Amino acid sequence: MTDVFVVGISHKTSPVELREKLAVEERAVGETARALTERAGLREAVLLSTCNRVEVYAGEGDEREVARWLEERAGGPIDAHVYVLKGSEAVQHAFRVAASLDSMVVGEPQILGQFKEAYTAAKEAGAIGSLLDRCFTKAFAVAKRVRSETKIAEGSVSVSSVASDLARKIFEDLDRRRVLLIGAGEMGEQAAKHLRQAGASLYVVNRSLEKAQKLAEETGGIARSIEALAAELTEADVAIASTSSQRFVITTELMRGVIKARRHRPLFLIDIAVPRDVDPRVGEMDNVFLYDVDDLSQVAEENLGERRRAAVSAEQIVRAEVEEFEAWRRSGALKPTIVGLRRKVRGVLASELERTLPRLNGIGEAERRSLDKMLDAMTNKLVHRAIAELKASTGTADGHALVETTRRLFDLEPGDEDEGAASGDAAANRSPTVLEPATRGKAS
Amino acid sequence: MLVTTLMWLTAGLYGVAAGHYVHHLATGTVRGALWAARVLAVAALSQLAFMVVGWASLGHAPASDIHQALAAMSLLVVVVFLITARSRERLRVLGAFITPVTLLLFLGAALRRSDVPSVPEGVRSALLPVHVGANVVGLAAFAFAFAFGLAYVIQERQLRQKKLGGLFQRLPALDVLDRLGLRAVLVGFPLLTIGVVTGTMWIVRDSLGLSATQGFGLLAWLLFAGVLLLRVAAGWRGRKAAIGTMLGFLSTLVVLAGYLARDSFGGGA
Repeated sequence: MTDVFVVGISHKTSPVELREKLAVEERAVGETARALTERAGLREAVLLSTCNRVEVYAGEGDEREVARWLEERAGGPIDAHVYVLKGSEAVQHAFRVAASLDSMVVGEPQILGQFKEAYTAAKEAGAIGSLLDRCFTKAFAVAKRVRSETKIAEGSVSVSSVASDLARKIFEDLDRRRVLLIGAGEMGEQAAKHLRQAGASLYVVNRSLEKAQKLAEETGGIARSIEALAAELTEADVAIASTSSQRFVITTELMRGVIKARRHRPLFLIDIAVPRDVDPRVGEMDNVFLYDVDDLSQVAEENLGERRRAAVSAEQIVRAEVEEFEAWRRSGALKPTIVGLRRKVRGVLASELERTLPRLNGIGEAERRSLDKMLDAMTNKLVHRAIAELKASTGTADGHALVETTRRLFDLEPGDEDEGAASGDAAANRSPTVLEPATRGKAS
Repeated sequence: MLVTTLMWLTAGLYGVAAGHYVHHLATGTVRGALWAARVLAVAALSQLAFMVVGWASLGHAPASDIHQALAAMSLLVVVVFLITARSRERLRVLGAFITPVTLLLFLGAALRRSDVPSVPEGVRSALLPVHVGANVVGLAAFAFAFAFGLAYVIQERQLRQKKLGGLFQRLPALDVLDRLGLRAVLVGFPLLTIGVVTGTMWIVRDSLGLSATQGFGLLAWLLFAGVLLLRVAAGWRGRKAAIGTMLGFLSTLVVLAGYLARDSFGGGA
């Protein structure tokens, strides 16, 4: 009986310094997963390593050895940060991670891609078996379903993406639009990059031209001196202010001239600086739309709230899918167990009979057939109750335990059932002749 | 009465379509928009049937009275909108503004006394179809300009007040609305000019006094002329341009209402 388990750390359990230490290079992920299967005796393994998590998904094996491997990488005890999840909890975790429910920003789209890459790398390294294969394929489907059936990925949740969304609601197309970045604040730089990626051209103004040039180089923009501020504001469609100035950089006096020169073209002014760079009265001017950092983060907050509400129905989808997966897994274990049980019992009976047969003289063809039938009947009678119980408990909480117990009591090894499992119960019933009994199977 | 039945059927369908579009704008359900478009298409067919039956029973040439002109105008607006919204999905929310206007135009066209010869004898001439035709297409363009302008004003207000809810997300970007508004006025203005010039010719020729309705006609023309001049020459755009355009269209509605009242109460030209 195989079971999925997960050993790992994530942004929820560990600081970034630790995650950095444990992270595995992208190109080494597949090979590391394969090496881990050998080291910890894992039947199969996938290694997921992103900036927010390092996790080993595995099917059957020694989870403590996997934890030790993590500890070695960390260079010290990390028990407090490591989580180990087994069975349906592990499956649920995999589905939640793929669906971006476990992400730092719920609904962010990158994790599914990283999840798929981890799977592909493990597959190419030959570290994946049938259970993880099924589990991961299912996780992709769950993620897709969550994305299409809930609003989990809707609405921008960062200040810079909210700013670029708003710019699109004013200008529609940002291609060939002109963005002016004033000052060197971190958030302003991010917002400018966002807009630049959307196709806008970027101009950078700073009190020191040198700084402007450096920033322009980093962001792919064009540097301008601070003297050109009014002229640049006249040309810009979007202006982002993020200086460290203690006074207003963009005053109403400055803007009055700018607006006249702009001839009514709309200007989207983003004031990300604290304290503010733009006189709030500028926002009352015609065709000027002024948003400060509070306005933007409020929108981001609201969108994040929407995502959290969507996450509730997403969790329901995940739970339903986990149940379905577990039902599949249990029924998958049930059939081989039934086949194996029959084969084992009949095998024992047949080999005992074979030992006795030489002592009985002159048995004819007809008698042999009767004995054969008797073996079938005895097998059926012996296993009838057990099989009925196994079947009845499928899908219930003890179903899994009962399957496990049966396998232990009758010493059924994985692989016993392989031959029979393919063709089903009928194959096990229809045994050959008494004289060449089920000795072909490893069971006897 | 087939004509009456068709009239109320058409009006009812326009009402339902308008309701669907407003609902779609308010909630953003895609199904709602699809239904709205279907109902609107059926309404247009129904109106076409209404007009054909009406012409047949009256024996008038299509472009010879104000009612038929209005009916043609509302039908033109609907057809153009349906075609545009098919290829540009983001504009279909504007049905919430356009369909109520068409309903209004249609009701103006349909509610009439059947025994009034609307056009004074002295005005019947070869120029009449030109006058009416230019006005019909011109005003249809202004109906669109009005819808774009209204959407612009709403959108601008939301952006300024930082109310960025679903309505804000569903309406098109400001720049798109502004450009479409300009385009509609650019199409409508020359046509309205032709309409005003031909109309003025009759007034001058027959020494008819300038009535209040015609005064509003000139006012509308002047408003559009002003908006266009400011847009093209002074680079005007945005909220003020949108409001100017809306006022222009509302004045033309006053002109139309004046004509309809004259028809219904028998006032002179």
